[in-house]
Amino acid sequence: MKQGFSRRQLLRWTPGLVAAWTLGCPSRPRPPGSLDAGIDLSGIGGSIVGAAHEIGHRLRTGALPEPRQTREVPVLIIGGGIAGLSAGWKLLGSGVDDFEILELEDTAGGNSRWGQNDVSRFPWGAHYLPLPTPESTAVRELLAEMGMMVGEGSDGAPIYDPRHLCHAPQERILLDDEWQDGLSARDLISHDLSDPAEMAELVAFERQLAIYRDWRDAEGRPGFALPAALSSDDPELRELDTITMRQYFDRAGWRSERLRWYVDYCCRDDYGCSLDTTSAWAGWHYFCSRAEDAEYLTWPEGNGRIVRHLASRLGDRVRTGKLAYRVVPGVARDGVRDGADRGVTVDVLDARSETVERIYARQVICAVPRFTAPHLIAGYDLPGIERFTYSPWVVANLTVRQLPPDAAWDNVIYHSRSLGYVVATHQNLAIAPQRSVLTYYLPLTDAAPAVARQQMLERGWQEWASMILADLSMAHPNIHSLVEQLDVMLWGHAMIRPVPGFFWSDVRRRAAEPFGAIRFAHSDMSGLSLFEEAQYQGVRAAEDLMAELGHPFRTSLS
Amino acid sequence: MRVLCYPLEVSASTTSPVDGRSKTLALLVSVFTIATCGLIYELLAGTIASYLLGDSVTQFSVIIGLYLSAMGVGSFLSRYFRHDLVVRFIQIEILVGLIGGVSSPVFFFAFAELQAFRLVLFGWVLVTGVLVGLEIPLLIRILKERFPLRDLISKVLSLDYVGALAASLLFPLWLVPRVGLMRTSFVFGALNVLVAIWTCHIFFREHRRPWLLVQAYVAFVVLLAGIVFSTELASFSERRLYKDPIIFAQSSPYQRMVLTRADDEVRLYLNGELQFSSLDEYRYHEALVHPGLAAVASPRHCLVLGGGDGFAVRELLKDQRVESVTLVDLDPLMTESFRDHATLATLNDHALRSPRVTVHNADAFVWLQEQTQLYDFIVVDFPDPLGYSVGKLYTRTFYRRLIGHLAPQGLIAIQSTSPLVSRQAFWCIVETVRSVGLVATPYHAAVPTFGEWGFTLASREAFRMPKTLAPGLRFLAPSLLPGLFEFPADMRPVAVETNQLNNQILVRYYEQGWRHYTGQLGS
Repeated sequence: MKQGFSRRQLLRWTPGLVAAWTLGCPSRPRPPGSLDAGIDLSGIGGSIVGAAHEIGHRLRTGALPEPRQTREVPVLIIGGGIAGLSAGWKLLGSGVDDFEILELEDTAGGNSRWGQNDVSRFPWGAHYLPLPTPESTAVRELLAEMGMMVGEGSDGAPIYDPRHLCHAPQERILLDDEWQDGLSARDLISHDLSDPAEMAELVAFERQLAIYRDWRDAEGRPGFALPAALSSDDPELRELDTITMRQYFDRAGWRSERLRWYVDYCCRDDYGCSLDTTSAWAGWHYFCSRAEDAEYLTWPEGNGRIVRHLASRLGDRVRTGKLAYRVVPGVARDGVRDGADRGVTVDVLDARSETVERIYARQVICAVPRFTAPHLIAGYDLPGIERFTYSPWVVANLTVRQLPPDAAWDNVIYHSRSLGYVVATHQNLAIAPQRSVLTYYLPLTDAAPAVARQQMLERGWQEWASMILADLSMAHPNIHSLVEQLDVMLWGHAMIRPVPGFFWSDVRRRAAEPFGAIRFAHSDMSGLSLFEEAQYQGVRAAEDLMAELGHPFRTSLS
Repeated sequence: MRVLCYPLEVSASTTSPVDGRSKTLALLVSVFTIATCGLIYELLAGTIASYLLGDSVTQFSVIIGLYLSAMGVGSFLSRYFRHDLVVRFIQIEILVGLIGGVSSPVFFFAFAELQAFRLVLFGWVLVTGVLVGLEIPLLIRILKERFPLRDLISKVLSLDYVGALAASLLFPLWLVPRVGLMRTSFVFGALNVLVAIWTCHIFFREHRRPWLLVQAYVAFVVLLAGIVFSTELASFSERRLYKDPIIFAQSSPYQRMVLTRADDEVRLYLNGELQFSSLDEYRYHEALVHPGLAAVASPRHCLVLGGGDGFAVRELLKDQRVESVTLVDLDPLMTESFRDHATLATLNDHALRSPRVTVHNADAFVWLQEQTQLYDFIVVDFPDPLGYSVGKLYTRTFYRRLIGHLAPQGLIAIQSTSPLVSRQAFWCIVETVRSVGLVATPYHAAVPTFGEWGFTLASREAFRMPKTLAPGLRFLAPSLLPGLFEFPADMRPVAVETNQLNNQILVRYYEQGWRHYTGQLGS
C-alpha cells in the first residue's frame, strides 16, 4: 500500500495560550545537554516564529482592562482552525451569514496554517489530504467547491485535478546510506533480500490490514471509518483500544525491526505518538480507514490551500488577533442577568489595539482545543478532562538555494527521530532546478508530553537550527551551505494523543455535549488529529446549531 | 615579449677544443629536438583545427601551408640577427617553447570562448612558424665556424629530417592516444625550453646571462605545471567519457553541454546524453517537422518547444508559408551558442538569426500558462523522459495545456523516443496524447546514430497524409511518407498506462526499455 498519510492533520492550538499554561506548570529538570551540534549557522537567517507569547503573558498576569464596548453577534465561533472555519463554511453555505470567527493568531488555519516567501508558499503544519473516502461527504463537497475535481469516472467516483494530486516521485527513504523509492512496509522490507521470517511477518501484517480494512459489522458499518464517529462499536474491535500498538505487535509475534519502525513512523507521523503509546485501535485506524493505495492532494502551502479557500469565502467574518479570554453563559445586560440558555457573554482582547470588548452572542461554537474549555468557560467542568493529552511538535521551514538532487515530495531518514522533510515546490510544473522550501517535521514523542513541551520551549532558535541541520546532514552532508533561511515553529499542543482507552472513553464522548448555548467543535473530540475529523466536528456543530434554531439546511454528513 | 628586448651584444667566442666538442654535440642534439618540436606544433595545430572545425583535409592543408610559409618568413628574418647569436637562439627557444607549449589549451579555450577562433588559430600558427623558421638558420650560423659548410648542411638538415620523422611517428602512435593533445603540447614546449636551458649552461662562461637562465627556468616550471595539471585543465578531462574529442564544453544552471567532433561529425551531448550527430540529424529533424508541417493547411505561426539547437526551426523556415516561429527553450546557453557560435550556427543555417524567429528562454510548462496565442503547428522536441523532471513534459496535464495553444486546424508533432528500444515508452506517449482527446498518429524514421526513432502527431481531426513537402529536403519525399506510418511487428503497439503527473509511468517504461535493450540505462 502506498504510504504517508503523514502529518495529515496537525490540529491547532495557539502557541500563545500554550505558553501561558506551560509557564504555569511546575518547573521540570533542564533538558540533558546542549543540542548544539557544532553546525555552522553563519549566513543562515531565521527565528522562532508564530508564537503570540506576549498575549499569553498578559493573560497569566490578568492585567486586562474591563471591556467598555459591547456589541451583539448572533453566532460567535471561537477559534479559526479547521473546525471553526468549517463550522462557518457550513453556516454560510446554508444561508446563515450573521456570524463571526475569532482567531488569536494573525492568520486563521490552526494546524493548517501556512507561510510564504519569495520562493514559494509553504506549510506550517498539515501538508496534504488523502483522497476522501465515500463516507467523507463533507470533504468531497468542499473539494468540489474548490475546483479540485475535473469530472467523474464511469463508476461515479470523482476524478481529481492531476495538478493537485501528489506528483511522482512521491516518497523516498534514506536507508543504509542509500535513497530508496517508496515508503511502504513492503518497500522497506523487500529492499534487500530479507530473511523469510521477516517476509512472513510482512505478509501477516498486510493480511491483517486487509481484514480490518474490509471489516463490516452486522449493520454494515466499517470497523475503521473516516470520520471516526461512523466506525463500528463492535466489542471485538474496541478491545484493540485497550492495548498499545507495541503490545499488539508483541502478541502477534511480529519482531521485524523494519516493520516495527514503519508502524512507529506512521504513528509518529499521524498522531505524534510512538508505537509504545498509540492505541492499537488508533494504529489500525490509520492503516484501515482509507482505500488501498489512496492518493493524496497536496499544494505548496499544504492544507493552507484549503484554509485560503475557506477564508476567502468567509471574508471579514474571520477576525484575527482576537483572543476570547472569558466566556460566561448567559447575558448580563445592565446588571440584569438572563438565564444561561439565553445567550453567552464573551470578553475579547484585540491583540493589536490591546482593547477589550464584550460580545453578547446568542449561540457560541467553541472550536479551540478541548483542554482549554474549563479555563475559558465559567462554570464548565468536565471530569476526566486531563485525559486529553497532546503531543508537542517542532516544524521548521528551510529555504534552500538548491533542491537536493532527486528529491521526492516526502523524504524520510530511517535513522532519524524526525519525519524528514517535504518539498514545497514539488507540485511546481517548471522543470528547471530551483530554490525551494523544505518543511521539516519533528514530533516530540520520546518524553512525556509535558516534559517534552517544556524542553521544547526552553530551546532557542540556535539550538533548534543546529539540531535540525545536524539531523538533515545525515542525508545531505552539505545542507548547511544550501540553507538561506531556517524558521522554526514550536507547537506545544499540536495533536491530541490517541493513547489506549482514549478513543472509546466516556470523557471523549461527553466532551461533545453542549453547555447551554455553547457547542464544541474540535478534532480533539474525535480523538484523532486529522483534517477530516476537524471538518466533521465543525460541520456537525454548525448543523446541530441550525437544527436548534430551526434554520433549514441540507446535511453535508452522511 | 621581454626576452626580445635585450640589447644586442657582441661577444667573440674563444673556446677550447674539448669544450668545443661538447658544445657542438649540444647544438646538434638541439637540432634534432627543435626539429621534432617544430613538427609537433604543426601537427597539433592541424589536428586540433580538424577536431574543432571538421574537414581535416582542408584544415591540415591550410595549417601546413601557413606554417611552412611562416617558417620561410622566419628564415628570411634571420638575416637581421647580426650579433649575439647564441643569446638570440636561447631566447627564441624559450619563446617557441612557451608559445608552442600552450598552443593546445589556447586553441581549445579560443574555440569555446571567442568568436574569432580562426584568427587566434592562424595567428598562433604564424607566430610559431616564424620562430621555428628562425631556429635552423641561426643554428647553422652558430655552427658554421665548427664545421665545413658541406658537412654542416648535411648534418643539420639530416638531423632536422630525422627529428621530423620521429615527430610524425610519435604523434599518431603514442602522443595522441596516450599522452593527449593538451599534455603533448606542454611536453614539447618543455623540451624546447630544456634546449634553451642546456644551451644557457654550456655557453654560460661566454654569455653570462643569469637573467636569461632565470627566464628559461620560469618558462620550464610553467610548462611543467601544464603537464602536471593538463588533465585538470578546463573540462577536457571529461574527454574520456566521450567517444570523440571534445571541442566545446560549457555548463549552464540547467545542463552540461558538450560538443565533440571526429572528422566531419559533430555531436552534441546534454548531460552526457547524445542529442544529435551532424551526420544524420537532418533525418531526425526532417522527420520530426515535415510530415506534420505539410499537413497543416496554413502553418503561419509555429511554435517549437525545446529544440534550442535550432534544427527544428531550420526545417520550419524551409516552408515559405511559415511567417513566424517562436522557439521556447529553457537554456540560454543552448540558444545563444547555436545563434552566435560560428561552427554551431552553421549547422542550423543561422536559423536563430532569421527575422521570422523569436527566441524565449523559459520553462515550457510555465511559459504556456502565461501565453494565449494560438499556433498552427507546434513542434515538441524535449529530451527523452530520462527523469521525473523532464517527464512532466510528457504528461496528460502538459498535453491538455498544449491543446489550449493549438489553432483549430493545427497540428502538434512530438518527439516520442525509440519505438524499438523503449517500445512501451513510445506507445505510452501515443496513448497519453489520445487520453486527452486528441487524435494521435504515430510514425517512425531511421536515424542511424539514434536507431529507429518515433514521433507522434496530435490533432483534433484525423491526420491526412500530405501530397507535397517543403523544398530542400535530403531525407523525406512525399512518396516515402506512407511507409513511415507503418509499424513492423517489433514496434507494434503494446498495452500501456497513460503518463500522469502522479504516476510518471513513462519514466519507468523508458528506463526499462533502455535497460533491457542495452543492458544499461542510456545510449
